[in-house]
Amino acid sequence: MARIIIDPVTRIEGHLKIEVEVTNGKVTDAWSSGTLFRGIETILNGRAPDDAWLFTQRLCGVCTYVHGVASVRSVENALSSKIPSNARIVRNLLMGGQYVHDHPVHFYHLHGLDWVDIVSALSADVNETSDLAKSLSPNAPAIDFASIKTRLQNFVSSGQLGIFNGGYWGHSAYLLTPEENLLLASHYLLALRQQLIAAEMHAIFGAKNPHVQSLKVGGVTCKFDITSERISKFRDLLTQMRQFIDTVYIPDVKYVAKKYSSWKSIGGFNNYLCYGDFPLNDAASDLLFPGGYILNKGTSVSNVDLSQITEHVNHSWYSGSALHPSVGQTNPAYDSYNTDSRYSWLKAPRYNGNAMEVGPLARILVAYYKNSSDVVSLVNSLLSDTGLNAAALHSTLGRAAARALETKLIADKMDGWLNGLDPNGEVLTATTVPSTGSSNGYGINEAPRGALGHWIDIQDGKINNYQMVVPSTWNLGPRDSNDVRGPVEQALIGTPVEDASKPLEVLRIVHSYDPCLACAVHVIDAKKDKSYIVKVS
Amino acid sequence: MGTRSILVLGVGNILMSDEGSGVYAVRTLEATYSFSSNVSFLDGGTLGMRLLHPISLAYSLIVADTAILGKAPGTISRLTMDDIRMRTVLKNSMHQISFSETLTMAEMMGILPATTIITIEPVDIETMSVELTPVITGKMNSFCEILLSEILASGGTYKSRNHVLNKAGSF
Repeated sequence: MARIIIDPVTRIEGHLKIEVEVTNGKVTDAWSSGTLFRGIETILNGRAPDDAWLFTQRLCGVCTYVHGVASVRSVENALSSKIPSNARIVRNLLMGGQYVHDHPVHFYHLHGLDWVDIVSALSADVNETSDLAKSLSPNAPAIDFASIKTRLQNFVSSGQLGIFNGGYWGHSAYLLTPEENLLLASHYLLALRQQLIAAEMHAIFGAKNPHVQSLKVGGVTCKFDITSERISKFRDLLTQMRQFIDTVYIPDVKYVAKKYSSWKSIGGFNNYLCYGDFPLNDAASDLLFPGGYILNKGTSVSNVDLSQITEHVNHSWYSGSALHPSVGQTNPAYDSYNTDSRYSWLKAPRYNGNAMEVGPLARILVAYYKNSSDVVSLVNSLLSDTGLNAAALHSTLGRAAARALETKLIADKMDGWLNGLDPNGEVLTATTVPSTGSSNGYGINEAPRGALGHWIDIQDGKINNYQMVVPSTWNLGPRDSNDVRGPVEQALIGTPVEDASKPLEVLRIVHSYDPCLACAVHVIDAKKDKSYIVKVS
Repeated sequence: MGTRSILVLGVGNILMSDEGSGVYAVRTLEATYSFSSNVSFLDGGTLGMRLLHPISLAYSLIVADTAILGKAPGTISRLTMDDIRMRTVLKNSMHQISFSETLTMAEMMGILPATTIITIEPVDIETMSVELTPVITGKMNSFCEILLSEILASGGTYKSRNHVLNKAGSF
């Protein structure tokens, strides 16, 4: 039995650390440790509720918009403010833009290199790669593979792997041929270019790239950006993204799923939670992603009752007991890292006592088993093209595939949403926070990484308490007060680990959740010290 | 932005004390001076890869950031891509794609403009606070002056808006 600790070492405490126990080449136990949003209350308490979103969107470098919109929704909920149609659509477009940006980046630039061996790509035959590209997706953009190969070779020959430093290149768990690796490495570069388009799209109604400035309690402020010219610019950029999704992203995900078919039974979890989002009418009675939860890999979906959420702290560095987030407390009580007692800055959120996975797979499964027609046809096409069955969705592959399918779903729908914008319509419902009295509310949404909730308590016009339950707390939180593991801890069990000093398989599962933890600090560090420390004992 | 455009990009997390120094410097410059039309400013926060788009549009890039170089707090340094290229390694989350990685990615894509990075050594980047520490607040004028000289060297001009430099480090 060996213990493997994977710890991205940084100057500050607080990045994700995964510890696994490996017996006879398989993971037999796992612990996930991380930190998040310590002390946000100290900044928000006493401030004006309608300013909170300006701070919450700075919490995280990637999930900016989602924390902004959760915050304004919490105040709107507390004050029973209804937003106009234009505002609903603009918010859907901004959230949709976030998905279309983040999900391809996740597949190609974060998760992709768990499947694609960049160094192997250097020995590819470029003509064979070109043939493979044509057979895989005839309408994909033409790529000069010889030139890409030379660029990669120059990177490696100069000893400057740069962003490819620290990978487990040559690991036997990499199963693709050199040509397949070169094809996907080329798409890595293509996707970077594509990302510029997605970022530009987000700026059209966001008022200012890159931080969205156009949110406001009661709606949005970009009234003068709703013009036929801007709508058509948005549509042009969206069309380019949709072509990329249809001819590159979706075919690549299906291909990887076929080549790594053993991963259809590795890294899965049992329970799924989706709050639901993308309101398709002003009453929010119809959602693109319906809300619901599924237990024990079931095929029936139950309705979500937010009062069933509690956050446990028995294995977290906080004092107190399991509480609902509306009355949540954040009382740090750090002692030491000990997997037998407390080992994480994350709390352990539970739904009616159950650990729940949130995110793309939860959304897709809930919609699929609620017979949402668009999702049913996307999932069925995935299953028939890859030869997988519905049970295989409960896996690492299922998670990656669900992310791609929902990217296509949203990108396709956004085109129609643009038609609903009315250049002469209102964008804002005037909403004033009363200077006396108390109220409380919640703002929930489906961030790309999963179900996100902000809970606000307002007293005499000021914030009295503010709590957030974020997607990665659901997915990467520690054990609860009944010692039940969190989703990623459970998902890791049974994973084969070929070489304990290079736990590529463990990283595949952790990355499949698109972890969102280390968002606080981005300074330049003089030392090259940010690689994983892998300790084996 | 036209040709020869200069992007002055402040990066860092304004919720983490001195981590936000670069953002404060950019805000201070914008509030204190008026600049020639080829100079633009951006509060880049901690957005990493999302900054590739504005970076790709610039002819020259001047970055204002915090850096731990082991010097005395408040020390201002000038870095180039050669200083940061090898400091990047694979990370386990998009949230660990730091600004250094972003610059390296831009270089790999062939979209990185001529780049200068002006950094300040922080006192505290761990306390959740929207205030700079007094040492860094005291150095903010020097930080801004060095950024101004880089703007001049890149072909930008400026004039004072006729009031004293704002107190940096507060909203």
